[in-house]
Amino acid sequence: MIEVEALTKCYGPTRAVDGLTFTAQSGTVTGFLGPNGAGKSTTMRIIVGLERPTSGRATIDGQRYADLVAPLQAVGVMLDARSVHPGRTAFRHLLAQARTHGISRSRVDEVIEMTGLESVAGRRAGTFSLGMGQRLGIAGALLGDPHTLILDEPVNGLDPDGVLWVRGLVRDLAAQGRTVLLSSHLMHELALCADRVVIIGKGRLLADASVPELTAEGGSLEDAYLKLTSDAVQYRGRSATGSVVPITGVTR
Amino acid sequence: MSASASSPTATSARPPAVSGRGATFGRVIAAEWTKITSLRSSYLLAAVTVAVSGALTYLSANASSGDPGFDPLGSLTSALVLTPIGLLVLGVLVGTGEFSTGTYQSTFTAVPRRLPVLAAQVVVTAAFALVTSLVAVGAAVLGILPAAGSRGITVDLTGEQTMQILAGMVIYPMGMALFGMAIGALLRRPVRAVVTTVTLTLVLPIVLMLAADMATDPMAPSQPGSSPPAQAVVNTAVTFSPSGAGSLLTVPEGSGVEGAPDLGRWGGAGVLGAWILLPLAGAAVRLRTRDAT
Repeated sequence: MIEVEALTKCYGPTRAVDGLTFTAQSGTVTGFLGPNGAGKSTTMRIIVGLERPTSGRATIDGQRYADLVAPLQAVGVMLDARSVHPGRTAFRHLLAQARTHGISRSRVDEVIEMTGLESVAGRRAGTFSLGMGQRLGIAGALLGDPHTLILDEPVNGLDPDGVLWVRGLVRDLAAQGRTVLLSSHLMHELALCADRVVIIGKGRLLADASVPELTAEGGSLEDAYLKLTSDAVQYRGRSATGSVVPITGVTR
Repeated sequence: MSASASSPTATSARPPAVSGRGATFGRVIAAEWTKITSLRSSYLLAAVTVAVSGALTYLSANASSGDPGFDPLGSLTSALVLTPIGLLVLGVLVGTGEFSTGTYQSTFTAVPRRLPVLAAQVVVTAAFALVTSLVAVGAAVLGILPAAGSRGITVDLTGEQTMQILAGMVIYPMGMALFGMAIGALLRRPVRAVVTTVTLTLVLPIVLMLAADMATDPMAPSQPGSSPPAQAVVNTAVTFSPSGAGSLLTVPEGSGVEGAPDLGRWGGAGVLGAWILLPLAGAAVRLRTRDAT
């Protein structure tokens, strides 16, 4: 279980996360949504101890991440497909991670097999496509067979087969009683794999509900999301003709 | 290192059981060793260091082998103006590698206390540099043999002073690797760190010496035992630079630079040590108190 309580993170005058509270329960897949710059990645980085909150706290099964005895075996983390040295092979990258916790070489081979990277494990990570990098990141997250998984946009760049695989994987992990928190911008995908959805905008909580609750009005998850975040979008593109791209599907 | 090592039952509190003692210091060292030995750049820099050491020593010994009082041992350290640079860059790459590539994210989520990673980087950088330095010194010894042979001189490395110089030739480049690693860990960006360290060790001493040369009147009568003030200041600054202090380890005792305080072997080692420890302390503070970025 991941508990985020009144979490606030300021960078100078900017409030990236603003009094955010939510819980990701064990045995469920919790989708984490929000427009670009909403504070999703910052929240995840605070949960895993890479950044300090300005106030509030985040715990995993009641403990601060930094206090975990064997973090790799408690929490699997994939934040960024680029958290690999481009000059190191996939195998050696995973092996170095495994060695920090005395995890065996055979487990490294196992996660390489699970993520379908066998044929490229000896290649330097710098030669990987985005999708292969994502698979490597997921392999690293699975290394310690953790009870909690935190995945930042895991399906980003994956081929359809990979997307399907991640969907099955997180469903299986949740069915085993594990906690999965995953962010994504792919609404249709989240509607299929998430039990609950936490939506944030400008660092604040906009919704924390189950997928059926959000789609109760008859629209899709995407409709519900666009409606909820319409006031919180910070970066909005324009159409080629110069007008603001109309948000379709919003019914007010 | 791990506080929980003595309480195996502590893991039973949460399902599923977390096995193992987590990131002990020995394991973090093993992980960092895997990292340093899995990059081509490490081997490339080590190979260049060894090759430059052998080739430059060979050329220098050959060039002076015609001198009447030729002592092949005197050429042993002739490559030392360049060989520490390879290890310096190696150190910088270890110190900055985590941050320049985003690897820090997987590293610090595995070792959230962070400081063991920095300490382990010191250990593996020193170990890798030690092996490289030993081989480079071996290459330098091989480099003087042809010149010695051509003059019929037997090379004897067992003299006390020679042994001390050989030890210095191993320790000084190791120190430079750690200096690079410390600055790299502090600055976190390879270009910045390389520019900073190369400026401090190579560029600044040369620029200062040239400036002092130009400021000194060459026609002024030279007084034995004293040097012009500008020269003395420059020599002192150069002596306290990482390379100046480090090279004191590789010269016979009492051969300090004119006008500069004679630090001696231990003094030189101390100054080089300070060049390592101060940025390392800064890097440790930055690591503990700031967000990892």
